[in-house]
Amino acid sequence: MPFLEFIRWQDIIDILLNSYILFRLYVLFRETYVFRVLTGIALLWIIQRIAVFFGLILTSWVMQGILAVVALIIIIVFRNEIRSVLQAKNLRAILWGFPQKSVPTTIQIIVESVKALSKRHIGALIVLPSKENLDDVVQGGIPLRGLISKEMITSIFWGDNPVHDGAIIIDEDRIDKVGVILPLSYKSDLPARYGTRHRAALGLSETTDALVVVVSEETGKVVVAKDSKIMDIPNNAMFTKILQEHVGIHEEENVYQQKEKFKMSIAAIISVFFITGIWFSFSKGLDTLITLEIPVEYTNRNPGFEIVDASVNAVRLNLGGSGALIKSIQPEQIQVKLDLGNAVIGRNVFSITQDSITLPPGIFLRKVIPSVIEVTLDETIKKEIPLQVDWVGELPKGLILSEVEIDPDKIEIIGGKRILENISTLFTEKVHLDNLKGTGTIWANLALTPAALKIAPGSKDKVRIVYVVNPRPK
Amino acid sequence: MCVRYKLLNFLFVLLCTNLVFVLQAFPQDNQSSNSNDALKELKMDRAVMCEEVKDLTPQNPAVVFSIKIGKVSCFTSFDPVPEKTFVYHKWFHRDDLSTTKRLTLQPPRWGTYSSIQLRETDKGPWRVEISDQKGHLLRILRFSITD
Repeated sequence: MPFLEFIRWQDIIDILLNSYILFRLYVLFRETYVFRVLTGIALLWIIQRIAVFFGLILTSWVMQGILAVVALIIIIVFRNEIRSVLQAKNLRAILWGFPQKSVPTTIQIIVESVKALSKRHIGALIVLPSKENLDDVVQGGIPLRGLISKEMITSIFWGDNPVHDGAIIIDEDRIDKVGVILPLSYKSDLPARYGTRHRAALGLSETTDALVVVVSEETGKVVVAKDSKIMDIPNNAMFTKILQEHVGIHEEENVYQQKEKFKMSIAAIISVFFITGIWFSFSKGLDTLITLEIPVEYTNRNPGFEIVDASVNAVRLNLGGSGALIKSIQPEQIQVKLDLGNAVIGRNVFSITQDSITLPPGIFLRKVIPSVIEVTLDETIKKEIPLQVDWVGELPKGLILSEVEIDPDKIEIIGGKRILENISTLFTEKVHLDNLKGTGTIWANLALTPAALKIAPGSKDKVRIVYVVNPRPK
Repeated sequence: MCVRYKLLNFLFVLLCTNLVFVLQAFPQDNQSSNSNDALKELKMDRAVMCEEVKDLTPQNPAVVFSIKIGKVSCFTSFDPVPEKTFVYHKWFHRDDLSTTKRLTLQPPRWGTYSSIQLRETDKGPWRVEISDQKGHLLRILRFSITD
């Protein structure tokens, strides 16, 4: 496919990495308000892009303004949520863990409660109805409709509680009734260790499809009665399993897990699509060209060599990329470097290749003008050169400049051997004659031409000019 | 009378002989003087840039000349000049050789000059390198052509 030709392996990594970051943000923040706000921001951004596309100036301007401050608002308003997510989880959980829903289920609460009652030898009778209605079978009972909790169950069966002798009926996640009297079983072959509670549990299981949990006050042992059978519960795992089978929650759990996996898969796919879309809009969409003039930097030059001449000081780069990326280019992000490590004294020819040019991500080089640069190197030497004043302007009428002394009259210069060999005199910057009215002294800077020349350390960069002006003889 | 005449003749002959000897002796002295002069080196006693030279005298010597005067001269005088020789005036505009003038010097002393006509493009710093016929640099004169 033609567009795949432009995709590099770095682009694939770019998309996958950012997709994963987005996916992780979803996983970490999906149950918080932060995620909803982030979704809102994404919608705002999409609206802003649509507004720009259709030329809705005010809308795009407003959206842009909101988006500009929204990041700050998120950090300030949701700092607690962000902190709790980041602090509560370790690095592994943040990077690739999947937080499980930790809300305790009714079954877990019942199991925990029964465990606590059993430990303290507190007798208890807990009824979990199934499909059949118990109203015609049980007697009494005080409606409670309280949300189930371990503390609530424990307190109901506490010895001093007036309703502790009766049974409780649990309806979904609530304790429907307390102090309920169950029908007793008339079985005569019950073991002697079973008391009234056991008989009542068995009685209800004989007449209904309910499951009844019994905690023995004497032994602390837990038994379950269901379908006219009574069985000992040796451990919590078995107890949990029996309860799950009774309420059919095992299947629900599987369905829940499958739903979660489905949600995560959808979130992952959406993340990849979303980031891919953004990536294309940034890096490929609306391909734009730009030409920039970038100065050439020379690296790895032998310290004993001097660049005395270069065919160009800057090259023109013809660059391509999306409009958004092209607009955001800063000239400092682009560098053209030539390695002079292998250069020799004299003329050197270098080709500017892709390796010589550093570009920001997503920007592509289309053309370099010129593609070849000639650089002339020379050996660096020191030379003492006489100085001369470069007078300009016009001396006032009637005056004559008779003598000039320049201090120092020579200066030591560092530069390329070939250049310095052809230089016999260095001149000052232009000194104007127009204001000279009599003998005097002025200071002047040196004009170093070409610019590759440098004043040797210890030499002055300013000279003192002592001049003698006399009246012109008539 | 005859004796006096002979004596006069003798004195005359003696005088002539002496004169011959003296005359013979003089060229020898001249040769000696010439060889002494040859040992002396050419010496420049004045070098100056000026607006013009009149009667072998530099007029208005200076270091800055207006282009309006149209001409600038480099006057040099030598004393002694041991023998006929040459000097060179090399005119440089900035560091570029503009012209070279070859000037003849005659013994025993000599003054001479070279000039250039000034054009608008001649503004800027100049120097004249004065060297002998063997190329030994005798003096550098620096000056400027301005508005």
